[in-house]
Formats: sequence, C-alpha cells, structure tokens
Amino acid sequence: MSWDAFVEGLRSFVLWSMDVTAVPIIIYFVLINTSLLVLIVLAFLEFRAQQRRRSTAVAWQGAGLAPGVSLLVPAYNEEAGIVMAVKSFLTLRYPRHEVVVVDDGSSDQTFARLEEAFDLVEVPRELPHEIPIRAKVLGIFVPRDGRTRLVVVRKENSGRSEAINVAINAASEPLVAMIDGDSILEPDGLLHVTRPFADDPTRMVATGGAIRPVNGSRVVSGRIVRVEMPTTWIPRIQLVEYLRAFLLGRTGWSRLGGLILISGAFGLFRRDVVVEVGGLDPNSIGEDFELVMRIHKRLRDEGRDYSIQFVPEPVSWTEVPVTAKVLRNQRRRWHRGLWETLWAYRSMLFRPRYGRIGWLALPYYWLFELMAPLLELFGIIIVPLALALGVVNVPFAILFLVLAYGYAVLVTLAAMVVDEWAFHKHDRWRAIWQTIAASVLENIGYRQATVWWRLEGWWSSLRGKKHVWGVMTRTGFDEDPA
Amino acid sequence: MIIGAALLVGATVVVLSACVLLILAVVAVRARRHSRTQRDEMLLSPLRPPLITVASGEDDDGAAAEQLTWATGVSRAVLDRNIVELLTKIRGVPAEQLVHVLEVHGAVDAAVAELSSRSTVKRARAAQLLGLARAGHTVPLLVEALGDEAVEVRNSAAYALGLIADPVAAGPVLAAIGAPERGLPAATAAEALQSMGVGISEVLRDGMADANARTRMVAAHLSGERSFTRGLPELRGLLDADPDLTVRETSATAIGRLGRGEDVGILVRHTAASEPLALRRACVIALGDLGEADAIPALAVLLGDADPRLAELAATALLAMGPDGRDALAGHEDDPAVRSARLLAGLQKASA
Repeated sequence: MSWDAFVEGLRSFVLWSMDVTAVPIIIYFVLINTSLLVLIVLAFLEFRAQQRRRSTAVAWQGAGLAPGVSLLVPAYNEEAGIVMAVKSFLTLRYPRHEVVVVDDGSSDQTFARLEEAFDLVEVPRELPHEIPIRAKVLGIFVPRDGRTRLVVVRKENSGRSEAINVAINAASEPLVAMIDGDSILEPDGLLHVTRPFADDPTRMVATGGAIRPVNGSRVVSGRIVRVEMPTTWIPRIQLVEYLRAFLLGRTGWSRLGGLILISGAFGLFRRDVVVEVGGLDPNSIGEDFELVMRIHKRLRDEGRDYSIQFVPEPVSWTEVPVTAKVLRNQRRRWHRGLWETLWAYRSMLFRPRYGRIGWLALPYYWLFELMAPLLELFGIIIVPLALALGVVNVPFAILFLVLAYGYAVLVTLAAMVVDEWAFHKHDRWRAIWQTIAASVLENIGYRQATVWWRLEGWWSSLRGKKHVWGVMTRTGFDEDPA
Repeated sequence: MIIGAALLVGATVVVLSACVLLILAVVAVRARRHSRTQRDEMLLSPLRPPLITVASGEDDDGAAAEQLTWATGVSRAVLDRNIVELLTKIRGVPAEQLVHVLEVHGAVDAAVAELSSRSTVKRARAAQLLGLARAGHTVPLLVEALGDEAVEVRNSAAYALGLIADPVAAGPVLAAIGAPERGLPAATAAEALQSMGVGISEVLRDGMADANARTRMVAAHLSGERSFTRGLPELRGLLDADPDLTVRETSATAIGRLGRGEDVGILVRHTAASEPLALRRACVIALGDLGEADAIPALAVLLGDADPRLAELAATALLAMGPDGRDALAGHEDDPAVRSARLLAGLQKASA
C-alpha cells in the first residue's frame, strides 16, 4: 500500500469516526456539562445554607449527645510519623475518643516507636470476631499509664482493609473514624463530623469530611500552623482536583441525598452498621467506595430510614503524590476500584428501591466518572489526527477545545469562589493566582496523562490482572517552625 | 454549519466570560473580607480598652461600661456584635454590665423586633442575643421561634431558651425535635434542656412516650444524665420494647446511672444472646454502673460469653463490685477477659 493510499484510508476512517460519533459526543458533552452545572448550583445552595448556619452557629463542644469515637489508624511502615500522628489524634478537641492503631506487620520500627513513646504493655485480650479476619493478631497493647485512650494491635501483614477491620473489632466506641496514619486532622474536625450524628442520632449512619492536600503547608507537632500552597505543580493541580471533588461534587451529591462515596482518608461510620455489613472488603481495590455502596444497599433493601451526609468543613489534610509515578499508581487504583465497585453493584441501577442512588448517583458515576476517560481518549487521538489530516476546520477545532477546557476551568473557578467565600484557608494573594494557573495547566498534559492512567487501571481489571499496591512515597511535613 | 459555528462561538464566549467573572468574584470576596475586618478593627479600637475593662471584671465604678453606652452609629453595631460574642464566654457581673450596655443601645428591643425579620440570619442572631441577654420576658417569642421555617432560627431559639433556663420552655423544646419537616436538631435540644433544672422531669417522662425516636432518645438520655428517677418506669419500658436500637441502648445506659436493685433483672434479661450485641454490651456496662450485688451471678455467667468484649466488660464490672464481685471471678483467672480486665484495672489504680 502506498503512503498516499494509507493517508487517504486514514482520512476516510477519521471522517467516518467523526461522523458516527459526532452526535453522541455532543450529547455526552452537553449532558456532562449540564450535570456539572447542576452539581455546581446544588453545591452553591448547600453552601449558602452552610454559610448561614455557620454565621448563626452557637458554640457546641460536644457535650450531651456527642457519641464516642474510635479513631482507626492502620499503619504500615510509618515509623517516621506515627508517634506524632497518634499524639495529635489523642489531643483532638472532643469529649470522648480513643485511638486504635493497627500495625499491619510493619517491617520497620513502627511498633517500637509507639512502644517507646507510650510505654506500651501487652494486654492478654482476645479481640471480638464481629468482622472475620484472616491474618493472625500478634498482640494488643495499651499505655502503662492506664489513662491514655490508645490501643495498639500488632498483626501479620494483610493490607489496609483488614487492618481497619481489626481496628473495628478492637474499637469500643459507637462511632468509628477511618483515617490514614499520615493524615492531619483539624483540632475541631471530630466536632464537625460528629455533629450530624448528635443532631440526628437515630438515622445518621455515616459522614464524610472534606480532605485537603497538606503539601507545602507548615506542620508543627501534628498540627497545621500555616496553610501554604504546594511548591510544585503536580500537587498544586491535585489541590484543584480536591477543591472540585469535595466542594462541588460531594457537597452537591450530599444535598441531593445521593452521596455514595466517602473518602478512605477520612470517613466516620456507626460501628454497629459497619459490623452489620461485614466491614471493609479486603479484596476490593476501592474499599471505601465499596463499603458505602454496601451500606446503602443493605439499608435500602431492608427499607430502613437512614442518612449519609457530607461535611464540607476541612477536616483532614493529607499528603498527595508529588511524582508522576506515584500519581499514576494512585489513579490506576482509583479507577480500577471505581469500575469494580460499579460493576459489583450494577444491580442497583434504575431500581426504584434504591431511589436517587439507583436513578441518579450510579448512572452519573457510570457515565461521567467511569466512561469519561474513554471518550476523552478518543478525543485526544482523533482531534490531532483530524487536524494533521486536514479533515476538520482548524479554527472550529480550536474553538471547541477552548470551550471544552474552558468549561473545566470554569468548574474549578466555581469551587474556588466557594472556598474563598466559606473557608478562605489560604491567606496569600499569590495562592489565588497559583490556583488559577493550576486550573489552566491541569488541561495541558496532566489531564491527558490521568486519562491514560485511569484507563490502564480499568484495563488491568478487565484482564483480571492482580493489583499490586505501590508505595506512596511520602516526603514528610515541614516540621520546622522557624 | 453556520448555526453550529455561531453556537460554538457563543458558548465559548459565555464560558470564558463566566471564567473572568468568577476570577473577579474570588478577588472581590477576599477584598471585601479584608476591608470589613480592617473597618471593624478601626471602629472598635477606641472602644476596646473599656470593653476589656468590663469583660475582665475590673470596672468597679461602672465608668468603662458607661463609656461603652456612648457608642453610636456603625461603631455601636460593631461593638454590639463584639459584646454578643463576649457574652458567650463570660458570666456574672461583667456579663450583666455588658447586657446593660446592649439594653441602653436598644439592641435587646431591636432583637425582639428582628425575630420577625425576613432575613434568616437576623432572626437567628436576634434569638441568640435574647438568650445571651437572659431576656426572660421573651420566652414566649422564642418558643414560637422553635417552629421557624429555618433550622438556624430553631437552633438559635433553643440555644437562647437553654440560656434563659426557664423550665416552662422544656416541653416545647422537646416537642420541637420531632416536628415534621421542621425538626429541632437533637444535640441543640439536649443542651438546652440540660440547663433547665429539675423542673423538667415530667416533661422528659412524657417525651419518652413520644412517637419520634429522636425525642425518646433525648428524653431517655437526659433522664439518665440528670438522674431523674421518676422516669425509671418509662426507661424500663423503652429498654424492653422500643423499636429503635439506639433508644434501647440509651435507656440501658440511663438505667445504669439511676436505676435500683430491682433493675438488675431487666438489664440481665437484655444481656441474653438473642439480643443485639451492642445492646447486650450496653446492659453489661449498665450493670457495672449500677453496682448491685444481685447482678454478680449473671455477670459471672457472662464471663464465658462467646463475645470476648462482653466477657471483659463483665469482668470489669465484677472487679468494681468489691470482694463479692472479685470472688465471682474464681475459676476464670486464666480467661483472657479476666486477665485483661485485671491488668487494666491495675494500671488505672496505679496511675490514680
């Protein structure tokens, strides 16, 4: 085949592809943008209400109905920061809470550091088996002082989900908060996220709090003393993603009564409900998403009256990936988890019993979260090809790209307005310009790379490839107060 | 094609314009906040010294409070806001002096009028101010505000009623929890009721028969917290037969706090293996809190329970029951539950 014939064939193929997909893609484009617009409007309405509530809030120190909370901290090779993290968790402002650390078979000095810092003694306790556990528990320890509400469980390594399940079995309070050992909680974070439980104690089963990237901020003794922008662009762009996800997405879904995802980095659940549904699924990649779906399914199947709410106040700060390699692994895992969970709960789609979850939230996640990278990839390939082959009008194509990416920037800017209006965590003017720049730069390279990584995750699941948990390389916090 | 291009150009212009507007909005929000803070600071600065003098209780001759009453215009509004904030933190004579300043400024009368404002924020803040000023004569208005369409106002009204602490409001506050579509958050209601003294025990008894589970839970919780023994028959009824598990657990805890010897039976009954585990555990803790010797045989049986936590809770309860309780541990010395409970009790004793 001659080169010219090849080019001609390719041109015909591209033209045919564009003809066939033009209408569906435009419909998809309109639908996704309209749904985002609806979410933005819902989030604004919710924030207006939240802002009103905040400006008329009366002091609540958790007296009376505040339920006790067990903070569950799975730790694997966290020797560098575990003691500081536990100390900061123990000193949170809350009337009744305990910390349960599960050392998931660390090969470093995680346990030794805890043992030394808290003068741990072994308790000959047998853990309840409310949630079945495969790994062997090696020992349970408490501080010798008899007062500090800390329990440390050592077990053989079997992964984060099982570590959390062990922690749930060891927990003694009615609420359990799943948090990462490298997370930093706001001093009043627990008061914020438990408030819905105190307000509606018989219906509330889970709440999720907003999570922010901590990269670049100044941290002293496990507390953020100054919020700063990350110093490099990869975390800056993730900050933009977090703003969108938490301030628009989850807030909007919560307002709509269709919250199906509570981040694994911070989620608060009724312990009895988590036990009832069997705890986290150790075989699931998207274990946090899967747990919330299982709770929804069980409670709706039983016709129970319940509520799951999102609390937009920043509750937890977490270190986000700074390198493309770590980010790739994270995004592959997220998308694989999304696919596997959506597939596992496909029976809930369009079933009246599941209400807004089945009719709105799940179809949205299928169409606009799961499928989005597929369509975006199609666009990434076909548009440059069409431009190169001269089969599209160049100004038209550029205008379309400007519109598509302009809309993405618009969504981010809407989240920024909400953030500035309600929380204004960043003092410096420079932070505003950097966030705006990140929202534009996100569309150049970063977005395309994440599209590819997400598809990789999906593909590896479809091929039945075993997931390998990568190592999240932490750079640690700037602990220097100077 | 032309229509498509025009649409595309139009949509792009709209989106980009919206982006620019949003950037301006971010800048405007920040600039407005900064300028407001600076303005308030400037207006308050001459009034800050007398305000601190009053708030710290050093205004013996009342001169500083008098000086505060002279504020006018925007300064007065800023000062009043600061006074309201201070009133959430201070009590006694300084609080009375600051309330007097608010009264002279006409803020209390204005708050009464603002209870019917169209603005939710104004209504809520007005209710809070009336509470902080301990304006007892406004209780009927605040009770009415418990049925406001906005939850912020209902919350603020309950908060204010809690500060005024007139038990007359207890019934409406408790009833407001279960109001259809306009319910009062349980946490606010519980805090308000907690400060209303012993005169609310009958209201709580009625609340335990309410159709709403949240109302029953708050009533049961407060009966236990405040040791209102008159509510015991209702608490027993809730523990026995309430359809809501949270209410049953709360009732068990309350009985543990204020129950009598005769309550051992009902608590023991609900430690049966057929009951939900969370309720069984709550009942064992309650038996320990009750501390009645009659519970010892039942607790001893639970030492061998299949649930290790329940067994440990039973051991902990027995250890706290003196020599008879400790004797009941005989034969179980090697059980992990008993060893664990003993160790923890020893650590706690050593650190006491």
